[in-house]
Amino acid sequence: MAELLLSNLSHSYPGAGAPTLSGLNLRVASGEAHALLGSSGAGKSTLLNLLSGLLPASPGQLLLGGQDLADQPPSSRGVAQVFQFPVLYEAMSVLGNLAFPLRVMGMSRRDCRARARQMAEQLEIDHLLERRPTRLGLFEKQLVAIGKALVRPDLSLVLLDEPLTAAEPARKWRLRHTLKSLQRESGATMIYVTHDQTEALTFADRISVMHEGGILQTGSPEQLINAPTHEHVGYFVGTPGMNFLDARIESDVCLVGDVPFGSLVVSPGVCRIGFRPEWAKLAGAPAQTHSGSDWIIAADVISQRVLGTHRGVPFGLVDATVAGARIVTRQPLDEVPSGRAQLHLDTVRAFRQGWVVDA
Amino acid sequence: MRDNRAWLGVLPVLLIVAFSAVIPLMTVVNYSVQDIFDANTRIFVGLDWYRETLRDPRLQSALLRQILFSSLILALEIPLGILVAKSLPRAGRSVGLWLVLLAIPLLIPWNVVGTIWQLFARPDIGLLGATLQNLGFDYNYTAGTLDAWLTLLAMDVWHWTSLVALLAFAGLTAIPDAYYQAARLDGASRWQIFRHVELPRLTSVLTIAVLLRLMDSFMIYTEPFVLTGGGPGNSTTFLSQYLTSMAVGQFDLGPAAAFSVLYFLVVLLLCWLFYTSVMRNRDAD
Repeated sequence: MAELLLSNLSHSYPGAGAPTLSGLNLRVASGEAHALLGSSGAGKSTLLNLLSGLLPASPGQLLLGGQDLADQPPSSRGVAQVFQFPVLYEAMSVLGNLAFPLRVMGMSRRDCRARARQMAEQLEIDHLLERRPTRLGLFEKQLVAIGKALVRPDLSLVLLDEPLTAAEPARKWRLRHTLKSLQRESGATMIYVTHDQTEALTFADRISVMHEGGILQTGSPEQLINAPTHEHVGYFVGTPGMNFLDARIESDVCLVGDVPFGSLVVSPGVCRIGFRPEWAKLAGAPAQTHSGSDWIIAADVISQRVLGTHRGVPFGLVDATVAGARIVTRQPLDEVPSGRAQLHLDTVRAFRQGWVVDA
Repeated sequence: MRDNRAWLGVLPVLLIVAFSAVIPLMTVVNYSVQDIFDANTRIFVGLDWYRETLRDPRLQSALLRQILFSSLILALEIPLGILVAKSLPRAGRSVGLWLVLLAIPLLIPWNVVGTIWQLFARPDIGLLGATLQNLGFDYNYTAGTLDAWLTLLAMDVWHWTSLVALLAFAGLTAIPDAYYQAARLDGASRWQIFRHVELPRLTSVLTIAVLLRLMDSFMIYTEPFVLTGGGPGNSTTFLSQYLTSMAVGQFDLGPAAAFSVLYFLVVLLLCWLFYTSVMRNRDAD
């Protein structure tokens, strides 16, 4: 049982101008698989190093299972960390590596070996136990590194810093599966850092999207897809990301390029409207004109890309322009006209200064 | 038809190697199997000189002295060099200064090193010698065998530990931070970090350090020649010095040539033994 609670956490590297982390708040439930998603430089790794104690304590509070982490040295926090590239004791065998953290804890030799073997079996590396890490492939090494991190029985928090960078896509899937089952078994809270949204969306119960040292939004994968609270979340999560159009609100009508697009009950003024490619559809223009409240607007189709078929109908991405801005839709391709078309939206969100304003 | 023109490209290298190494070495081999009286009078003696050289008690004791000296300086300089490298700061402004300070002994010509220590250790006017005398030690490197050895060892450590330290430092700075971080999270002690993280990663540079120091110390000539002249008695006469006295002093070209060939083979053998044992260890799974 170890709930992780960060309140108002900040960190600046000496000599750096802007703080790497500023005023960060996060609650991760005990046993949760949580992903930190963000591009490089967002402060993800800094946050991990603060949690594991590799970086000295910063302003703000770090509570793990109700205990303040700041007073505890890295080795007694019950926190394990897996690095981007496998970090192992190269002169020891795989078994020696897996047993080392236990040996340091003062566990008996026999118990160490038994526990290390059990770990190796779970990760399906028990046939490598007598080998030296220098003789292993990158992926196998990373498996050993993961095993070494997870082997301690007193773990309450596991930190994974882009651990699958070295893996091929097919193996990533299996390893992610193994990691999840290990996590469920051990009941440890896991924090998984990645810049790959697919990894985050498939691994995590909840995801925090980080940007420039802060958390923009924390939520389930569905929440991030359907209700992004910040433009960056909308753009960063989803392939391709959210489309944005510059717009203006006048008496509850949203105008794009001075053309009425749809009705939106928001205070008047300039804003940006965002919609996911799958919330939009491009279709041929019918004869009658629309009213300006039904989220239909003129568009020009540029090109389409087939991704596959759905019930026999080709399905894919369509590039188009609306009032001079590029957009992408994800839709069946059989009804897409070339040239002049109409863009229909099911849902739309309005943003001001990056943050969502509707709802 | 096979194209053999590539051999033409190798030819210059072959010529340089021939003139710089193979021909001089073969000249020595040629001398070692003949008794030479003057330019026209020479007799083939086969392996006689080798037999004589191997039985020479002065050479045998010089060889034992040499092995003892090389072993001692390796035992002193390698751990000390690692210790110095470990205590250097890894980053910051002072690093450059420390590295330059460390490199100074390496930049001094060898006979100057000998002269420095000859003066430094003189019991009458040398800073070290006179200080020891005044502290009540009966220290005199020109008279006491132990004193001469200690002075020689101190001089070699002073001269060459920097080399080991610089190599070890380069090895240490090449270890990524993540290795230290992972060890810290595992709760490894400082000794465990050194033993399991640093030492395995220093193997290659330390192999080179040991090889360089082994070869160099085994051929040491200038510094003891300047400092002790091989004395007192023959107590600090090492192989090179004995060889020089044989070839240049007594003009015994035949035995000296046989000695040279054996000397060369011994150095080669030692280095080969050390290198293969390290490599076998590393490849062992």
